Amino acid sequence: MTTLSGKRVLIVEDEALIAMLAEDFLIELGATVIGPATSINDAIALISTQEIDAAVLDLNIRGERSDRVADALRLRGIPIVCATGYGQGAADFARGSTIIAKPYSKEKLDDSLRLALSDVPSGIQPVGRVN
Amino acid sequence: MQVSGGSRNATESLDELSALYVLTDRLYRAKSNQEAFEAGLDAIRDGLGCRRASLLLFDGAGVMRFVASRGLSEGYRKAIEGHSPWVVGERNPDPIFVSHIAETNEPARVKDMVASEGIVGLAFIPLTVQGEVVGKFMTYYGRRHSFASHEVNLATTIARQIGFHLERTRAEEARRVAEEELRESEQQFRLMSEHAPVMIWTCDASGKCTNLNRMLREFWGVETDKVPTFNWHPTIHPDDAADIGARMMQALTTQSAVTVQGRYRNCKGQYRVLLTTARPHFSANGMFRGLIGVNVDVTERDQAEMAMRHSEERFRSAVEAAPSGMVMTNEDGRIVLVNLHAEALFGYGREEMVGQPIEMLVPDRSRSSHPVFRRGYGSLPLARPMGAGRDLYARRKDGREVPVEIGLSPIQTSEGLMALASVVDISERRRSEAHRELLMDELNHRVKNTLAVVQGIAHQTFRGTEATDAHAAFEGRLMALSAAHNILTQTSWEHASLDQLVCDSLQIQSAFSNRVSTTGPAILLQPNQALSLALAFHELLTNAVKYGALSNEAGTISVEWFRTDKPKPRLKLVWSELGGPTVSSPARRGFGSRLLERGLAADLEAEVALEFQPQGLVCRIDAPLAAGVLAQ
Repeated sequence: MTTLSGKRVLIVEDEALIAMLAEDFLIELGATVIGPATSINDAIALISTQEIDAAVLDLNIRGERSDRVADALRLRGIPIVCATGYGQGAADFARGSTIIAKPYSKEKLDDSLRLALSDVPSGIQPVGRVN
Repeated sequence: MQVSGGSRNATESLDELSALYVLTDRLYRAKSNQEAFEAGLDAIRDGLGCRRASLLLFDGAGVMRFVASRGLSEGYRKAIEGHSPWVVGERNPDPIFVSHIAETNEPARVKDMVASEGIVGLAFIPLTVQGEVVGKFMTYYGRRHSFASHEVNLATTIARQIGFHLERTRAEEARRVAEEELRESEQQFRLMSEHAPVMIWTCDASGKCTNLNRMLREFWGVETDKVPTFNWHPTIHPDDAADIGARMMQALTTQSAVTVQGRYRNCKGQYRVLLTTARPHFSANGMFRGLIGVNVDVTERDQAEMAMRHSEERFRSAVEAAPSGMVMTNEDGRIVLVNLHAEALFGYGREEMVGQPIEMLVPDRSRSSHPVFRRGYGSLPLARPMGAGRDLYARRKDGREVPVEIGLSPIQTSEGLMALASVVDISERRRSEAHRELLMDELNHRVKNTLAVVQGIAHQTFRGTEATDAHAAFEGRLMALSAAHNILTQTSWEHASLDQLVCDSLQIQSAFSNRVSTTGPAILLQPNQALSLALAFHELLTNAVKYGALSNEAGTISVEWFRTDKPKPRLKLVWSELGGPTVSSPARRGFGSRLLERGLAADLEAEVALEFQPQGLVCRIDAPLAAGVLAQ
């Protein structure tokens, strides 16, 4: 089974304390943290410049839905774990990506990321356009 | 009596003139045909000096028969009857004069009969009416007789006179028959009209009543002998009198047919609605003789129509006042009625909708399938909502589509089965639902984010300290709270199912799920009850894992609940552990115990009992349930 050891995981989260928690969890799980990005533009900049294996993406960044970030990640075939406080409403955003409800435990994050990484399709299927 | 061979004297001429004069006079006075015939024979005798003569007419079968004769034997009349040189209807034949019977080509039988009667010379003078032969008169002579021209002229003149007479009597007879027939037919009409089951009347050219049949006399209570002086005009209802009077007068002056309806007072003083149809009638020579009218009592029909009109008016005003868009369609799917709301909803004026197919209000994509649904409704017309389970849209005049809810009702009318659709624009409701969902999502997002922030703060606070257990306990409680939130989020924070709450709470430790059993009826909890219970279950489970039934390999937990409805609805839940290490009452009450015994008791207004029985912990929760959310 895949472990997160050595995996480069992007965190996109505008709430500093939550971002720090995620960062601590990922480090404890042996992953390398990219970011955390606290804005959509920061996230897109990191996606285009950094090597990334997976991303933990908040659905809502500073009051804006982070679809553009999700599109950019999908375009590069990077698996996404959608962290959200929304209820059922997150499903259409996730489009098949793993959803993880906030607040989440370290174990939950570990499970979700490993699931997302094992689901990476062999071919890259662009879904949207990067602005 | 002298018979002349050709020369004539003054006496003979006078005799002829006198005979003709007498004949004319007698024919003029004749009271019967027989008198006329006798007068004709006398004229022959006196004018022609001929002793024997006869008069014959065709009978109905076209056989020439004697009607009068002089000096002929009965045997001769019988034998010769039917013999005629002419047939019926022959036009203007010439008279035949026979000087001697032996010199004719008549059959021997006829010659013999004539001879045996002592006749030698004879003449056949045709009698004609309007140029057609109808009979003849005969003169007979005992010797050869040469007919002088004055004899021929006189015989022809007498024949014409008798012919004129016949013509006159026949015309009189025909007129008499015609009059008789007319009288009979009038009699029949009166008889028929008298007993007819409708009211029949006649009036003369001035409008004066000439006849009322029995039904009409009974209506007005008029005796037969009072009919000629009866005036029906005062029986008309004052409001109708002017109109009816004017139209009757017009029919009389223009000699034309008329139909009027109005209220007439009958002999009991009640007003009845009569429908009158009158036609002019004319005499044979075209003279206007007045009107013949028929009155039909249409009171009941009129009242029924009035009631129907009132009921339709009430229906229309109810539809007009309805608080939603109303559209009524007929069996062909054409719009027959819309109200003010429908005009506003669809953006069409009612004159643009009425008469058009209902499909004009259906979106393009559903237009082709709509008639199929429509006919389906026609075959099973019940009051029901349209398009169960489908989102319905109406198409406005400007092409915009509006989400709608439509209720259908069948309306049976005199014009067939109608479908009445009540259409409600639910755009506003849709918008507020969407808005509410958005707010709910936003709220959940913030609550969950806040919980995550609290989790982050705790993480930073406990980081690097020795309090690992305390940190884990805190995070477990936070997660339990969050799990309860998730359940409530699914129902928009209206309620949570106890069953789901128990399962979700215990699944946190899914490794033990086969050692935990749950039984109980479906119960809906209010949000605050759900949150409190979720925290309580978390504490109980954590305790069981650490010290209780789940701390070894064999122990089990049973969660059972039921509901009591009397005197007030209450939830009774029992958590009981079995098979764990022997339990002893703890010296110090930890957070878990305090949360259960005090927090839960306060939050739920519940009675909570923790029993540290040796075989396992038992927790009894007895909490009131809100009446509104007892069960699903």
